[in-house]
Amino acid sequence: MHSQAGSPVSRRRFLALSGVGVAAGAASLSSCALQVSTAVGGSGETITVMAKADDLSPDLVKQAKKETGITINRVDYDITKLIAMLTSGNPPELVRAVGATDAAYFAAREVMQELDSYFARSGVLKVEDLDPVNDLWRYDGKAQGKGPRYGMAKDFSQDSMYWYNSAAFDAKSVDYPAELEPVTYEEWLDSAKRLVQRSKGQTTVYGGSYNGLTKLTLMATLTASAGGSLFSDDFSRADFTSPEARKALAWYIDYCKLKVGPSTILPDPNGWDGPTYQAGRMAMSNNGYWLGGMIGTDKKLAKVSRLAPAPVFAGGRRISACQGGTGMWMPRQAKNKDAAWRIFEWYFGEAPAKARASSGWGIPSLKSLQSLMPRQEDYQRRSLRVQENELRHFSVVSLTPYITGDAFESLFNQVSPAAMKGEMSVDALAGRLNSVINEQLARGKEQVG
Amino acid sequence: MTVEQVAPEAGRARADRTAGRVRSAERGGPTMTTRRHRAFYMFASPWIIGFSLLTIAPMVYALWLSFTTYDGISPNWHYVGLGNYRELLHDSATWDSLGRAGLFAVMSVPLSIIAGLGLAVLVNRPVQGRGLFRTLLYVPAVVPPVGAGIAFKNLFDQNAGAANGVLTFFGFDAIGWLADPYARYVLVMTVLWGAGNIMIISLAGLQDVPRELHEAARIDGASAWRTFRSITVPLLSPVLLFQTVTGVIASVQTIMPMLLAPIASTGGLTTIPQSNYTYMIHVFSEYFALGRYGYASALLWLLFVLILIATGLIFKLTSGVVFYNVDPEAKK
Repeated sequence: MHSQAGSPVSRRRFLALSGVGVAAGAASLSSCALQVSTAVGGSGETITVMAKADDLSPDLVKQAKKETGITINRVDYDITKLIAMLTSGNPPELVRAVGATDAAYFAAREVMQELDSYFARSGVLKVEDLDPVNDLWRYDGKAQGKGPRYGMAKDFSQDSMYWYNSAAFDAKSVDYPAELEPVTYEEWLDSAKRLVQRSKGQTTVYGGSYNGLTKLTLMATLTASAGGSLFSDDFSRADFTSPEARKALAWYIDYCKLKVGPSTILPDPNGWDGPTYQAGRMAMSNNGYWLGGMIGTDKKLAKVSRLAPAPVFAGGRRISACQGGTGMWMPRQAKNKDAAWRIFEWYFGEAPAKARASSGWGIPSLKSLQSLMPRQEDYQRRSLRVQENELRHFSVVSLTPYITGDAFESLFNQVSPAAMKGEMSVDALAGRLNSVINEQLARGKEQVG
Repeated sequence: MTVEQVAPEAGRARADRTAGRVRSAERGGPTMTTRRHRAFYMFASPWIIGFSLLTIAPMVYALWLSFTTYDGISPNWHYVGLGNYRELLHDSATWDSLGRAGLFAVMSVPLSIIAGLGLAVLVNRPVQGRGLFRTLLYVPAVVPPVGAGIAFKNLFDQNAGAANGVLTFFGFDAIGWLADPYARYVLVMTVLWGAGNIMIISLAGLQDVPRELHEAARIDGASAWRTFRSITVPLLSPVLLFQTVTGVIASVQTIMPMLLAPIASTGGLTTIPQSNYTYMIHVFSEYFALGRYGYASALLWLLFVLILIATGLIFKLTSGVVFYNVDPEAKK
């Protein structure tokens, strides 16, 4: 039936027209929201970088414009936004990510651009100058650490190391750990027990915190330190019941049960160790060299702070892995790859990289910049000596591409509190973790194909 | 102007309008009815378009997702039919978290309504400075939830919080408020802290209660409690029903526990005590930590259906006790 001019708009017709309007609106909205940059190559152009403000401050954005001629449009890092942008075919040109946990995950899903040809052509970022930490950004289709490069770390730390407050050790007459030789995990826990201070049910000084960067990297590196591997050779299964993984799990559950440091059942409202350690309320803090950046801003704290090597398990291997390696990658569908690579070179190899290197907030990911690490003050020289020795024990602990760090964290936190409170045995927890983590790994493997 | 003078004027106006319609129809232009329809839809269309784009379209999209294994990024997702719905029926985490959400609703909704109504009764009394009291009591309701979450996290911190400061001052041991089993009560307190919203609505209802009914009750010798129970509460019952329905929906959908989480990351946000692991936290975890868009969408659709059923039940159960102060014949 044709509508007549001047006849009333029927509800049916109105709804039909609205439907068309809705569809058109939705299409235009989605394209507006997700259109980020369509410019092509070189100076004078604009690229979108998805990063945190800490990674790319407004001052750095201005500096980039001045030094490269390229305008950076920074959007906040948000995984759901990133997925929407990737799905719509309009991804940012560069994306922040954590090399250890994200690189293999995204590479396996074929959304990352291989960067080998860019590195081969670059006069700034030479492959022979890359620190081995950048191998976290390699993935050969099966394992992390080998194969094409998909990104690069901006700096790194060996995240199983820890800082300690010598004043807290003095107060409780506990011997300092050796400067260059590691203590065992058992000794670390024993010290933490002696250092913790409690009053009327309150912990006034934590003996020590040991939570790793994420539960995934913590469990994988602890198991590696015990001489085993958390994942099967093809990374499709986790086994918490192997002797090494069980040893690692039992140690961590003991740490939580003893309540010597923050954990799921004893949360620190600060959310991370920095402010608690700075306030003198934490004797040992499981953070790598990068925390020296914060410590250095407080002269009193710097005077009593010492960096110590990553602990080992009695009879286990001495390894000291990087659990982060935060950096950037370029999506395969990026529209303006040449301009993106120019910013990549500038950010990782030019002025910003040099400024980061001399700040003490991490070890530079280029070997040539490591001579810029701060060494003017006593405390800087002391921590640098420990760090340089620790680099000899650096290793890449490969993680699975079938689960994200967030997924592992979420499942671990849901299952483990009962064991931390002593309501479940470590063996029962290991079995339960095998069940939930392997379910998620199976789903991930099926998705990747 | 007298009544006699008004009547012919009105008659002429009606005749003019009728003539206008006839002339419009003769010219082929829109009639008054058409113009009214157009005006109605023009005024309503911003809302209808917004509702369609921002509510109906996402719901339909989520329904489609709920039949897939889509995770937003992986290439090999596929249709699973009702597989996600079958899985959630056998997932103990679904029912445990739903039970916790239900328990939270049972605890928080009556308490917040009683608190809001109690405050409304207090600030409805003719006391000096009641405007100031009303403002002060309402202020927490306008504090952004994130701010409230941070404030409560610091207030109830085991080692440095004010709550334990008071306890230890009086010689008691500190309590781990933000861990099991106390975290649930802190969550209820955060909701009660914002009872100012309910107070405002209840206050409006109280001021609508006819004063002469209270005066008649007093003359009849009724006590204050009897007056409140037999006159105020029945007349407020539609307001209380509204607060119950919206309160239940809001509490089941609450995402507030996350604000008490110790770590501000996607994985960390699920690091919350078991007693606060409610249904929406489970949904968040499945969506954004595990990347199971399909399964999480099925969870949301289940919640939608359950809320519809719960709302229907509340209406059914309260149909005999809610008093509507209107003439039931008026519509006829």
